[in-house]
Amino acid sequence: MSKYWVVFRVALAERLVYRADFFIATFLRFIPIITTILLWRAIYDGADRTEVGGLAYRQMVSYYLFVMISRAFGSMPRLATDISADIRDGGLRKYLLQPIDYLAYHLALRVAHKLIYFVMAAAPYAVVFWLCRRFLPGWPAGETLGLSVIALVLAFLLGFAINGLIGMLGFWFLEVGSFLHVFMTAQYFLSGHMFPLSLLPEQVGQVVTYLPFAYETYYPTLILLQRLDPGEMVRVILVQLVWVVVLAAATRIAWSRGLRRYAAFGG
Amino acid sequence: MRARYGRILARFWKNSLLREMTFRGHFLVNVVSELLWVVMLLVFIKVIFSTTPDVAGWTEDQYLFLVGTHMLVTSLFEAFFFGNCWRISHLVRTGDLDFVLIRPASAQFLLSFDRVDYSSLANVPVGAAICIVAAVGQGTPVTADKVLLFLLLVGGGVLVLYSLLFTFAVTSVWLIRQTGVDHLWFYAVSLARYPAEIYRRFAGGALWFALVFVVPVLMVSNLPASVVVRTFQPYMVVHVLVVGLVMLLLSMAVFRLALRWYRSASS
Repeated sequence: MSKYWVVFRVALAERLVYRADFFIATFLRFIPIITTILLWRAIYDGADRTEVGGLAYRQMVSYYLFVMISRAFGSMPRLATDISADIRDGGLRKYLLQPIDYLAYHLALRVAHKLIYFVMAAAPYAVVFWLCRRFLPGWPAGETLGLSVIALVLAFLLGFAINGLIGMLGFWFLEVGSFLHVFMTAQYFLSGHMFPLSLLPEQVGQVVTYLPFAYETYYPTLILLQRLDPGEMVRVILVQLVWVVVLAAATRIAWSRGLRRYAAFGG
Repeated sequence: MRARYGRILARFWKNSLLREMTFRGHFLVNVVSELLWVVMLLVFIKVIFSTTPDVAGWTEDQYLFLVGTHMLVTSLFEAFFFGNCWRISHLVRTGDLDFVLIRPASAQFLLSFDRVDYSSLANVPVGAAICIVAAVGQGTPVTADKVLLFLLLVGGGVLVLYSLLFTFAVTSVWLIRQTGVDHLWFYAVSLARYPAEIYRRFAGGALWFALVFVVPVLMVSNLPASVVVRTFQPYMVVHVLVVGLVMLLLSMAVFRLALRWYRSASS
């Protein structure tokens, strides 16, 4: 455990180098939200009705704000690229020689990145949420808050497992980066990042909401939005758990199979 | 003089084509990923207009035409200028800008036209197809002078974007940072994608005014689209072209100023 603690501490220090950039980037990240909010304002005005996709205008705005929080947990920028690059360039050897589990190493790294992100992003997020306070629902009850935290942590693990699994493709394909681009585009849609999945036509929505991506962003966001009753929240968390276990197992299997191939390559 | 620059340009385009041909897979994946994005966007538009007859006064066909126009403008910019602007801060940091400056030709020309990303050009027929479908759907007569004005304004939009991004890229002589051209591009694109009218409601219209009249980012797609499928005011056409030229001259002035400050990398 202590070696992963070292990895964690080094990653923390590394992240603190570009502080000013970080603050600017975090605020800039809300610009697309402003445009999205304004677009929905125009849609609600044009539709001349109070609910779209089961959400009132205030809730629609809150949805996009809470998506930022869900994504802050679930997104794993460059994880798949890093892993596949290690495989392709032979950088993986460096880790194989060490008494360290490669996936656990990356997990420690990501936990550190996320913690730093949360600490440093707290102020900008607080400002933006305070400015938007009239759209937000009130503070959730204790149990909703607790379940929200669990759902967000599971969203983090789900994001790690999905991206880790894609990184493993590097064992079989030379160029994962381009595939990743297609995947990210699809994920933007399928996870409910682009718009709430409840807006999709019935049949399409039913398929999409079974995929793991919905459990990475859409459902945790609905929990934050206090749109689900306790039974539904527990169901979401259970399905998240199932997806995490399934995808983590798949990643492990891909890892051990891939490693056999990799060793064969090295000769 | 003109003939010489013509030959340099032809050589640049040929070299870029050769480079692109080396990575044909990259081209293919880019096309697939862009088509996927278009499909998602079309689904989103369908979803929006299943709830409302218009968005800020734009009907579905008009909105679709705006989307097509936006694709044309952004993919032309991406094909010809994005990569070139993006590389400038890298050249400054590594000191490789020296190799551009010692050549007997305009440095801004060499920097701006060095590479063409042909895979982005694949979006041009897609954007054009969307525009045609939308224009036919709306049933407004499309005359030759409208098409010419449209093409002129698409060019004007690319000019505005180029001047903005190039000026920003050149400031990397003074500021070392991570938040680069790609960030600015991402935010400019996400602002310009929607009907300009939706911004009137924000900050008492100040943002709308700034993005329409001062730095006409909102006009790069909105104006050409309005000319064909909506009404437009002639003064706006003149305004955008004049501002585009002023911004171009400004970018040249900033570039000359920046060169006076540029001190290579190692000395």
